[in-house]
Parts: sequence; C-alpha cells; structure tokens
Amino acid sequence: MTYPIPLDGFSMKSKKTKNRLTWLTSVATLLLLTNGILAQEAQVGFNRDIRPLLSNKCFACHGPDANKRESGLRLDMRDSAISTLDSGLAAIVPGNPDQSELWKRINSDDEFTRMPPAEHHEPLKNQEKQLLRTWIQEGAKYQTHWAFIPPVRSSMPSVENENWSRNAIDLFVLSELEQRNLYPAKAAGKEALIRRLAFDLTGLPPSLKEIDDFLSDNSPDSYERLVEKYLASPAYGENLATAWLDLARYADTNGYQYDTERRQWVWRDWVINAYNQNKPFDEFTEEQIAGDLMNNATPSQILATGFNRNHGITIEGGVIGEEYRTEYVMDRLITTSSVWMGLTVGCARCHDHKYDPISQKEFYELYGFFNLVPERGQNGFQPQMQIASPLAETRLSSLASRIAALQHDLTTAKEDLTGLEVWAEKLASDGNHWQVLKAESSKSSEGTTITPQADHSLLVSGVNPQKDIYTLSFRTDKTALTALRLQCLTHPSLPGGGPGRHSNSNFVLTGIELQATSVADPDLSHLVTFSKARADYNQPRYNVTSALDPNTSTGWAVDGPTRKMAATAIFEAKEPFGYEGGTLITLTLKHEAQFGTHGIGRPRISISSAPTETLDFNGIDATIVDAAKIPAKQRSPLQHKILVDFYQANLGPAKRIENEIKGLQQLQKNAFPPTMVMKDQPGIRKTHILNRGQYNEPTTEVHPGTPAALPPMSPSHTKNRLGLAQWLTSDEHPLTSRVTVNRYWQQLFGNGLVKTSEDFGNQGNAPSHPELLDYLALEFIQSGWDIKHLHRLIVTSATYRQSSKVGREQYLQDPENLWLSRGPRMRLTAEQIRDNALSVSGLLLNTLGGASVYPYQPKGIWLELNNRPGYSRAYPQSSGEQLYRRSLYTFWKRTVPSPMMKTLDAPERESCTLKRSYTNTPLQSLLLLNSTQFVEAARHMAGQILHQPFTTDRERIMHAFRMSTGRKPHEDEIKILKNALHEHFVIFKNNTEAVENLLSVGDSIVDHSLSPVQLAGWTALCRILLNLDETITKG
Amino acid sequence: MQQVIEKSHLLTNRRQFFSRTSTGIGVAALASLLNAKEPTKSTALLGLPHFAPRAKRVIYLLQSGAPSQVDLYDYKPSLEKLHMTELPAEIRNGQRLTGMTAGQTKFPLVKSPFTFQQHGKSGMWLSELLPHLGGVADELCLINSMYTEAINHDPAITFFQSGHQQPGRPSLGSWLSYGLGSETENLPSFIVMLTKNSFNQAQPIYDRLWGSGFLPSRFQGVKLRSQGDPVLYLNDPTGLDQRSRRKLIDSIAMLNAKREAEVGDPEINTRIAQYEMAYKMQMSVPELADVNDEPESTFTLYGEAAKEPGTHAYNCLMARRMAERGVRFIQVFHRGWDHHSNCKGNLPILTQQTDQGSAALIADLKQRDMLKDTLVIWGGEFGRTVYAQGNPASFGRDHHPRCFSIWMAGGGVQGGLTYGKTDDYCYNIVENEVHVHDFHATILHLLGIDHERLTYRFQGRDYRLTDVHGKVVKGIFA
Repeated sequence: MTYPIPLDGFSMKSKKTKNRLTWLTSVATLLLLTNGILAQEAQVGFNRDIRPLLSNKCFACHGPDANKRESGLRLDMRDSAISTLDSGLAAIVPGNPDQSELWKRINSDDEFTRMPPAEHHEPLKNQEKQLLRTWIQEGAKYQTHWAFIPPVRSSMPSVENENWSRNAIDLFVLSELEQRNLYPAKAAGKEALIRRLAFDLTGLPPSLKEIDDFLSDNSPDSYERLVEKYLASPAYGENLATAWLDLARYADTNGYQYDTERRQWVWRDWVINAYNQNKPFDEFTEEQIAGDLMNNATPSQILATGFNRNHGITIEGGVIGEEYRTEYVMDRLITTSSVWMGLTVGCARCHDHKYDPISQKEFYELYGFFNLVPERGQNGFQPQMQIASPLAETRLSSLASRIAALQHDLTTAKEDLTGLEVWAEKLASDGNHWQVLKAESSKSSEGTTITPQADHSLLVSGVNPQKDIYTLSFRTDKTALTALRLQCLTHPSLPGGGPGRHSNSNFVLTGIELQATSVADPDLSHLVTFSKARADYNQPRYNVTSALDPNTSTGWAVDGPTRKMAATAIFEAKEPFGYEGGTLITLTLKHEAQFGTHGIGRPRISISSAPTETLDFNGIDATIVDAAKIPAKQRSPLQHKILVDFYQANLGPAKRIENEIKGLQQLQKNAFPPTMVMKDQPGIRKTHILNRGQYNEPTTEVHPGTPAALPPMSPSHTKNRLGLAQWLTSDEHPLTSRVTVNRYWQQLFGNGLVKTSEDFGNQGNAPSHPELLDYLALEFIQSGWDIKHLHRLIVTSATYRQSSKVGREQYLQDPENLWLSRGPRMRLTAEQIRDNALSVSGLLLNTLGGASVYPYQPKGIWLELNNRPGYSRAYPQSSGEQLYRRSLYTFWKRTVPSPMMKTLDAPERESCTLKRSYTNTPLQSLLLLNSTQFVEAARHMAGQILHQPFTTDRERIMHAFRMSTGRKPHEDEIKILKNALHEHFVIFKNNTEAVENLLSVGDSIVDHSLSPVQLAGWTALCRILLNLDETITKG
Repeated sequence: MQQVIEKSHLLTNRRQFFSRTSTGIGVAALASLLNAKEPTKSTALLGLPHFAPRAKRVIYLLQSGAPSQVDLYDYKPSLEKLHMTELPAEIRNGQRLTGMTAGQTKFPLVKSPFTFQQHGKSGMWLSELLPHLGGVADELCLINSMYTEAINHDPAITFFQSGHQQPGRPSLGSWLSYGLGSETENLPSFIVMLTKNSFNQAQPIYDRLWGSGFLPSRFQGVKLRSQGDPVLYLNDPTGLDQRSRRKLIDSIAMLNAKREAEVGDPEINTRIAQYEMAYKMQMSVPELADVNDEPESTFTLYGEAAKEPGTHAYNCLMARRMAERGVRFIQVFHRGWDHHSNCKGNLPILTQQTDQGSAALIADLKQRDMLKDTLVIWGGEFGRTVYAQGNPASFGRDHHPRCFSIWMAGGGVQGGLTYGKTDDYCYNIVENEVHVHDFHATILHLLGIDHERLTYRFQGRDYRLTDVHGKVVKGIFA
C-alpha cells in the first residue's frame, strides 16, 4: 500500500506563489504560514486548525490504518473525504456544510450516530465544530502535512522595529511578536549572558576570571569572541555529547533482567570527539548509521556505528533468542526514525500507523535495513571490534614514543654479544636441546597396553577405559633441567590414524605430574611444578594450560575429529630440576575428562636444560648446535653469523627489549575494550511483515525501502543502511534538518520551535515559527551541516540574548515562552548541576574521555535490587580524582541509574529519550542539601573563599555569591547571607560534633590550615548558595 | 472567526500554565507554605476520579519470581490420580516453553506435596503452608484464573508493573499518582519497599518497575530503604537539630523569594515549596519508619520479625502506617519464588517469610476500619507448571503463564470469594479468565478511574495503562 500525498489545491510548485510576499504587510495578523504556502484567503488553515482536530478525533477510525477504517471513510485524504460512500452520502461537500454528513454527524442528538462516538471520550467542543464548519464552507481545502514538504527559504519578513535584530533569526521572531503586539525583552546583562552562554555551549559555569574579562571588555565584538572561545573548548564536545547519549540510549550496562556491565565507552568518546572536531552532521549521521558500509571504512567510521548497538541485550536464561533479536532490530529502527525524522514509526509495528502515512508494510521495509546484523538474541554481544578511542591520543602517543625509544635501544642492544660464548659452550655440551627419553617402565591405571617403539614413543592399545592414567618412568643423568616435551604422535593403529584414542581421534589431557627422585639417594624426591605450558596446537577452550590446573573437567585437546595430526606440548619447570648422580623421572599423564576414552595414543617424552626462551617444539637446528661446538676463533664467518643471529633473536639483551616492546604494544592494544559495532551479513536473514509485531508470526516477505510519503531514495543509493543514511541527509529530505535544528534549539530554549520534538507527524504540534524553522533547516544544510555554525547563529541572535528577568506578568502571559519574548530560563540538567558544583568548588577533574567512573552513591543501592552471585556486585565507588569527573562519565547502570542523575530527571536510557522532563521535587532538594557530593563541594568552595586575600566577610560573601550565580549580590541578599553565616557560626561554636560531622563529609582531605569552625560556617553558607534556584538555573 | 481562534490560543496558554505550575505536590505544599491553615487542595487531574471510588489506596505485595499456584492456592484433588502421568499434548496445546524445559522430553505431572484445608465461612481452600492467611480467608478474594503472555521474569514483571513487556511505560503506581494526586503533604504518594536479602538467588529487580516512564519523573515511586537513609539523602550530614536545619531552609527560601520577585518565574515558587516539603519529610519519614510507638499487640499480630527493618513483616506493618498517613500506592517487593528445583524444600521457606505479615496486614486494616477502602493485593508475575522440571523426586516447577493465582482483599472486592477455575491439570483456565490488562482495569476501576480515560499524550498518541485492552472484572466486586 502506498500513500499518495494529498495535495488538493496546492501543487508543490505553488510554493513559489507571489502571494507569499504580500502577507508580510497584511493586517490579517493571525494568518499562519506553513512552509511559505499562504493559506490562501481562508480564515481557517488546514494544517493549523483542521488537521490536528481530524487527527485527534477522527483518524483513529477514519485515517491511514486500512484495517481499522470504519465505513470506508478516510478523512486524511480529500478525495476520499468528499467522495460519495457506499451509504450514498458524502462526509464533506465542499462549500456546503449542511449537506455534509460530517457536519450532521458531529451535531447529531442521537448518541448512536453522533461522531466522535461517546466511547472514544473525545467529544468536539462547539468552537471546534465551528472551525470545521467554516473550513467546509470555505471549500474544505487540504494541505500536505507541513513536515512532509521540504523546507523552503522565505524572504525576510519586514518588521517595524528595525534596530533590534542582529541576524535573520530575529526578523522571524520579531515579526511574530509584532503581530501579537508583544515586545522583545531588554538585552540580558553581561553577567547573565556569559553564564547562559557558558552553560549552553560547554555545560560548565564561566570562571570568575572569564566573567571579569568579559565585563571589562568593551570592544564591539567581545561577545562574538567569547562565543568562539566556548565553541573551541573541549568542554563543548562533552556538553553536546551528553545530550546525544540520551538519544543514543547509551549506557554502561546491558539492561533487562541482570543488567550486567558492558564497555561501550570508546563509542561515547567518538561522539565527544566528533562534536569537538565539528564533524558535519551529515557525516555524523552516515558514520553512526552505516560507517561500516562506507568505502574503505576507517576504524573510526566503524566505531561510530556503536550507536545502533547501544540498546539493551538480555542474558536471561530461558528466553527465546529470536524474540529478543527482533526487539533489538525494532529498537534500532524506532531510535533511528525518532532521532533523525521525529517520526513515531513504532506505531506501525502491529498495524498501519493510525495518524501518519506509514503502513505496516513500510515499517517492515525500514526494519529490513537493520535486520542483517549477525547477532543473537541471548548474549548478543557480537559483532565487536577493538578500536582506539579518538580521545586517548596523549596516552597512545606516550606509549608510542616509549616504544620508539626502545626500538632505538634495540639497535645497540643487538650489537651486545657479551653472553654469546657462555651460551655457545653450554649448547655445545648439551647438543640438541631436546633429549628423547627411553621409558624404563610404563603402566596404565586401567590395564591398557603400552608398547615402547623404536623411536622411544609409547604406543597405547588394548582396552579403552573411560578414564585412564599413564604412569611412565625414565632415567637421566642431566641436571638443571628446565622443561619437558610431550609429543603426541599419530599411528595407523589409532582411531582414524590420529593422535588420540577416542573414536574421533581426539584426546583430552586433564593433568600432568612429574616426580623427580635422586638415583643416588632415593629419599631425595620432589614434585616438579610447571609454571608454563604451550602447545603447537590448542583446540579452542581446551588450551594446554588447563592441563596444569587441578580441575579435571578441563584439559588439552587438539581437534582430533577434524585435524588428526600430531601435536606437541612443552611444560616449563618453575625451578630447574635434576639430581647429581642421576634422576628417576616418574611422569603421570591423566585423562579424567567427563568425555570417556580420550587417552593419548602415542606419547613420546623429551627433556631439556636449555633456557626455556630458546626452546621450540622441534629443538634447536643441528647447524646451530654444530657451530657452537667449534671454538670461537675457528668458526667460519657463516657459522659465526648463524650463532649470533640465534643468540640475538632468542637470548641477548635485545630479546629483553623486544619483550618490553611487546608488552607495551599489548598495553596499546588493551587500552580499549572491544566496542559493539554494526555489520551486515547479506543473505543471512529475510525480512517479513510480522503479524501483530510478533517475532514468531512472519507473513509476507518485504525488502528494504523507505515510506512512500517521503521523497524516494535516489537510484544512486544502495538499498542498505548506507543508502538509508544518505537518503536521510539528502537535501530533499523534509525531516532530518528540521528535526535536528529543532532539537538544538530545544537544548538552548527549553522547547523546540516544534514543541513536540519527538513527533513531527500529524499528532505533533505545528511549529510556532514555521518560516524560522525552515530558515534554520536550510541554513544548516547549506552551511554543510555545520553544527557550530548553527550554534553560533543562534547564540549571537538578539532573540537568544534577551533577558529572562521580565516579571511575573510576562511569565503568566506566555508561560512557555512560545513567542520568544524573553531569554530562556531553565533549570540546568542533572549533569550540569553536578558539574557546576564540582567546578565552582575547584574539585572538577577536567580530562577528556576514558572508561566510565563511579562517583559517590549511598551504600547498598546496587545489591538491594540485584544480589545474584555472578551477575552483580556492590557499587565499586571510585576514589581520588575519579570522584570528580564530569557527570557524562558517570557509570550508567540502566536498572539502577546514579541516584544523583536520576533524581534530577536524567532518563534510565532503557530506550531513546528525545526530551527530558524537568521536574521540581522535594527529593531534588534533599539531594542538593545533603548528598556527599554537594556537601563536600560546599566545603571546598568555602576553603577557596577563605584562601582569598579578602579582609571582610562582606567581600567573601560577594565572592562566594558570584562563584555560584555569576553575578554580584544585591545589598539585601548580602544581608541575608551575612545573617545566615553568623547564625551558623553560633551553632558551630557550641557544637564541635556538628563541625566534625560536616567537615568529614567526602573522601577529600580537610584543609587543616583553616579554623574548623570558620570552615564549617562558610561550608554552611556555600551549601545555601549551591541550593539556590538561581545556582541550578540557566537564566 | 478570528475571535474564536484567539480565544482558543488563550485557552491553550492558560491550560499550559496550569499544567506547568500545578506540579502536584508542589502546589499543595506551596499553599501550605503561604498559609499553613489552608486545607490541602486536591491534586488530582481535572475530572478525576471519574466515579465514586471503592478504594482510596492500594497496598500491593508483589511476590517476584512467581509463586506456585498449584502448591498454595489452586486446590487440585484431581492430581492425586494424575500424579506422575504425562501431561497430555492436547492440554499443553502447543504452549511455548522457556529455554529451561524446552529440551525436556517428558512432562510428568506432580501433585502438590502439601495438603489443603478449607477455611472460614466461605470454605476457601488454601495450602497448609498458609495457616495465617487461612485466618482471614473470609476477607480474601482469591483469583485462580489469572493469565499473562510473558514467560520470562523480566518481561512478565515489567508487564505487571506497567502494562507492557518492554521497558519504557509508566508504572501502575505512577499512573495513580498522576491521575489521583497526593493525599498527603508530608510523604510521597507512591512508596516502594523491598524485602532485604529475602532468599538466596532472588530475582533481580529494577528501578524502572516503579519508574514513571514517559510521565514526568515526579510521579515515580520513592523507595523507602531499610538501610542507610530511609529516603535517599534524607538526613542532614551535620546531625544538626531541627531548628538549625530550619535556618538553612529559611535562608534558601528568602533568597529564592527575592529572586522570584525580581525575575517573576513561578518555577521559583515551586522550588521554595519543594524545599519546604523536603524539610517536612525530614520529620515525617523518620516518624513513619520508627515502629517503637507500636504497642506489643502489633508484634503479636505481625510477628517478631516486624521489629526488624527490611523483613516482609516489617514492610507490611510499614505499609499500614503509610496507609494511615495518606500514601496512595504502597508496593512491597518480596523475591525468591522462582523455584526451578526443590519446590518442596523452598516453598515453606518463602511462605514462612510472607504468610503471617500478609495476613496480619489484612486483620490490622480490618480492626482499624481501613480495609473497606484499602485494596490489598498479593501475587507474582506468572504461575508455575504443574509438571516437574528436572527429576520428579526433587522436582522444581518451570514458568507457567496460562494460569496462576492472585488474591485481593478489602477496597471493594468481595471477601471469601474464589474466582475463576482451571482444568484438572491446573494448566488452562476454564472459567472467568483474568488477563493482566483486566487486572489493571479492575484496580483502576476500584479507585474510581475509567481505565480508558486515564491517558497521557506521548509522541502523538494517548497512552493508557491498559493499552487498547482491559475489561473490568466486576464479578469480584462486593
């Protein structure tokens, strides 16, 4: 099913209508323009007045959803609405309300014919009925939903007050104000402005020095230079990223029942870096949605796709994998559509969308783009990739320079041959490093036959018991033995001609023991400890090292079923062994795995006294041993070279340096956990429409595609995620740029120009300033999707620079500041409130990126919800400076978010959040009054003040007040604070316990250079200041 | 025409204004700040309740992990004969199984190892494990015909708490706070308590189970803790007395008031009111949590365990104290019912922890004449299979969504009623099925709310707790 765009009376071309200019001087002040289309001469605008009514009251039964459509009537399209239905009636007869069935039905006295039906609880008000009547009378004109028409740049409106505007934004805003006989507020004072700007761009307060510099800078471009400074600050990226993390449902845990931890922070660092690099928003989009599919994708582009792996992943036992995998795909689709298009496509999961032109089929066509990830529902953490954080360059470069220096040392070290002759002598006397031992006796615990062979290997045959332990004994005169070699050879008599006794040719060696006994004095005997083991082949999860642990359910295996080849292991002794006068070696090979009949088929044992680094599986090449046997002076240059090369590669000082380099390289590699990323594996999965959205009810197969109501994908776009991303950022797309600029506007002003930033569909609000929205959307595209340009444009406007101190009357008249007749005044976000306290107290540790941290949290909060052993742990609170990092680095546990963040309205990040709520609760008051973080910050703020060279309390109070609010206090405010300070001095002078209690809050050291009572009194004062509405508000 | 439009804009503004400033608790507290003698104003949504409520408040004792209905409530003498026989395929009827028993080839039915007795005038059948509950059987409305769609804990409990299996929707309690507002100025209207370390291997639970979803976050449940501060950050770290704390709050209020006079933003007044409320909570919460003022008879009723914070019995007692103080929705989470093995050994541990407190709560509310308008609910997120998981000798029971039991008491439901019937196998419902959505619709109805009319617009859609489903189960009303 497709949805032709209903365009009655307005062809797309009519957007160029010359009428557009005439309205600017029109006195019809309430006419509302949508995308530059003049609503003709009509009094009633379809998009403004009628569509919301029809959508709200009628579309549920007479809208896009074909399955729920009643009486064949469809009111979202004019053709259908005015056509004669089966009943012989027409809902709408344009120009004639009294003939229109719609008019009759909404006015009917009969409760069974009256629309909307009573059970919908959506009765029409008289005033709404009148709007419908007028609209029908005027011809029942339809318009395409504004948000589906690409934005158009209008000419600048003319305004009466020609002096106010600073840029284009202001003309649009002022024009609306003037039409409503409203006036802009006066410009905000410099103190208010710099604080607002600093929080909006960096999320941090301005320093007092920055404020003073700005106050004393009278140059005409002082503000513009300040804007540039903040845009260039690394804190800008952190602030912008914080908002993006809500959209991206970023968290440090997996959600669902057990909510185990994940490490996805390298992706978070990518976002911070992208904002700081001012990555154009189209690239920002394409890389996050489809970086992996880009041509010659860079690691950074692949890292970006972590965006769509940030959803929750379940590990709950007993879940049906496909059910959850389906949810992950749904989450990607719904998140991507919400973030880039402001559309609630999720409504079309189970049925056609009730309000917007998105059919269920189209939903699954979009779903198809995200359905090719090779992932599982349960424990679906793959695919992953280990990629460096772009913010860790300093750390990485210090490692790199260390490595470079060592590599330099390596050249000289290679020349160092001091130890060569000592080693050569030993090699000459030891001969080939591995000495194969001939068994003196061999027996099996279960009576298996063990037959010595000519090559001293031991062929096992006869009974094949479930578990078997071979005990083999050997004799040697060598001392200082360093290692034992176990060769597991093949033989035609063994199953499949392989190395093991099981019918599939495998073996599992679960344990190995070596008893060394002196031949001269049999009382001298000890068990040799092996510190290391390595093998030339290990079956996955059956590494030879597991033969060293006491666990009999783990062991060494060699993929017998598929490989059927010999395998060799070396066991290195922790201490050299071997007695003077000969050693009896008793070797025990254990086969005790739960898999029966897994004995080794033909073992052969060797020993060596060479340094273990030089040992390889086959021993040292005979030519090297021969060269060592020749006295140094008699060696040919070739023989010398052979020896030197081997010595340098395995033993000399160069080897130590090489090992160190290897260690650092390992560090480089492990600095970053693997990040979950996107990947497409074509062909692994088909996409079907899912009946009722159920994972197990697939119906018709569909292919990736975009909804018909939006511009088609260009033929040059591949029908994959990359094509989808390119389609979203194409110039013709009506939603992406609008939705994006609207959200950035929302971050600065509290509300977007479209208040429902999460819904640009029929049920969403129309833009308050449609032409301004389009202007910004186009400006954004034409600037090359330049985010900093957009910010610069908005924050330098006169609109943004208005004062928010406008008095009760104004707040009452326009509580939401819909018409922008004052500057924004909003409570700071959770992160900003905490960061502000850390910043003004001087505690903030300002470093970029890295693993998430664990600031203060009351004890027990994690375990009281989840104390399942193995799946949970106590909150690992950070210590030292990690307690004072910016809040966006706070470890985000979805099922138990940081109470500091959650109390201040941060979302749980279970799913994409497009707009936070801003509440005002007593729990917030308690947090700011009493929590460790804020009380400790008050103490440090007090300490800072007391260390200033002030002589009077008045000066100190003024300073403290400025630190928290950014402005100088009024006289009456100073008076209140002075009284409070003295009241607290009185309290604390007589209560040393209270002083101690207060000063001991927090991990940081108390400043003993200050009088405790002084410090406590000023801490109390700072607590007051950190709790002021003004302190936690951007005004 | 122009006038009409202008007026409608003005109305919108007025409405928006009130929606912004009438922040539930906030306005009430502000009123009390400005005039301490003014009675509490209703903070309910306009038009609510929709009709006369039968219950004013709810105490929901949520048993996480899913208690076994066949061993506790749904008496099945038929299993005597069927014991150790195979579950017939036509009874299972393609029911999807969890990954835990999907690999099992046999599904032997196992009867309850516990005996059942009849109680009260109504003759209600209850397991021997529930002796205290038997004492209040005539107050109980036992529903043996609950069913759900989820078969795993996380989606199932999320469904019960929010009407949706995936996270993101508001919880039942937050819907009630949003719709009905608060009856108290001194305490939150939605409080949650957890039993501390109730059982080894207890199911994890999550903050979002009492979260507000897309409703403003002020409607989320407040957790009352049994360790540390009962409400997070409640206590002043200095340990200063009330008078000194008052000074701090007063200084903040005076400075905020000056700012309000200068700026004019009504949010500042709300902030002043919230600090006042915070100050009041610093007194009312410790008073609430301190059970030392209870007479000894209370502990005879609830058991000695009720003296120890964090036990189920203590939380039941706390629930009664909250109900007395006007808290609207009180939820107690008790975990540990997920008995995949050893039902016989584990169930008595759990009933021992919960039986006396739950029964005492009913008796206590009754003797205070509060049961009539307090709805008490007890139940888990699904039921358990009648067939054995693992070895039938030391059997466990797997998750079973098709039938399970929940009971209610007081608040307008009929006491002594056993509602709904399951088949002889305790596998399928044969009479009066009650879906989770029906359960929600019924609770809202008892509180005077039409579940189809309590809505919240989010992302263009009017959401309900019951989505587009839900029938009020009138058959259980008194």
